[in-house]
Amino acid sequence: MASEISLEGTVLECLRNTTFRVELANGHQVLAHISGKMRKNRIRVLPFDRVLVELSPYDLTRGRISFRYRN
Amino acid sequence: MQSAEITRISERHWHALDDDQVVGRGEVLRRPDGRSFLSIDAWHGAVFDRLAEEMLPTLPKPLYTVVDEADLDLITQWERMGFGPRRREWELVVPSGITSASSPGVTVLPVGAAEDEPLRELDRAIRDEVEATVGWHNMPAEVFHLHDPSRYAVAVAGGRYVGLVRVVPLPRRPRIGLIAVRAGFRRRGIARALLAEVLGAAHRAGQTSVSAEVNQSNAAALALFEGFGARRESSNLELVLR
Repeated sequence: MASEISLEGTVLECLRNTTFRVELANGHQVLAHISGKMRKNRIRVLPFDRVLVELSPYDLTRGRISFRYRN
Repeated sequence: MQSAEITRISERHWHALDDDQVVGRGEVLRRPDGRSFLSIDAWHGAVFDRLAEEMLPTLPKPLYTVVDEADLDLITQWERMGFGPRRREWELVVPSGITSASSPGVTVLPVGAAEDEPLRELDRAIRDEVEATVGWHNMPAEVFHLHDPSRYAVAVAGGRYVGLVRVVPLPRRPRIGLIAVRAGFRRRGIARALLAEVLGAAHRAGQTSVSAEVNQSNAAALALFEGFGARRESSNLELVLR
């Protein structure tokens, strides 16, 4: 069983419709949503936050923010 | 995606597998107030539906979830599963700044200056008062008991602790987790003095704003924060399946 690929990144921008532009550690940028678990726990994400992003196995330009580091 | 295989991997967790790849996850979390909150993350709507269809029959109702009100796709997905809105909560952004707000006969101890035991006693007293009146059912994230006294500023009157505010020290925007005043000391400007202390400290630390979540029905709290220039940045809906 394979999990999604997870990479660290930095939030560049909060976009409309609860989407964020995130620059990954490898330099690529992805559009990412916040995971349901983070939303459930009221964890907010702001520009410059360091986050962990799970990449979609179907589209590597899309992701899901699964963790926000405390910097 | 209809072929995704759903596996309950523990009492609280489900996985959706497609071609041996995890393509969705579901989780149920039981909060300290006894309510169960669900989350489902899936890359396709069909996988969301498959996870929900597997999870929902196995869980006692009512079930709850939280969605950003701007996330219309996700709201539609939960509504398709029978969930409906229960309440709305505003996320407020309050500008930091030095404000003179005091309450006669009341001293405010800054964050981290309160003594441990009187603070715990105040925390217990406030919880009992809330439980005996409106209850905690509209403040699910705030039912956690006091575990880190260094996060609280406290109002003191006549040598007694009578009000508190909890501040989560996030790096870019601190979050106000709870602000409360003992029943016999309300309507004296104590909450305003506590909030002014927190906003002043944030300003001195170079932080331009703090955040807070307020239930839409809590007119007093909204008025308190908006009196300090708070703006409503976003809103969350709590959905329920009964």
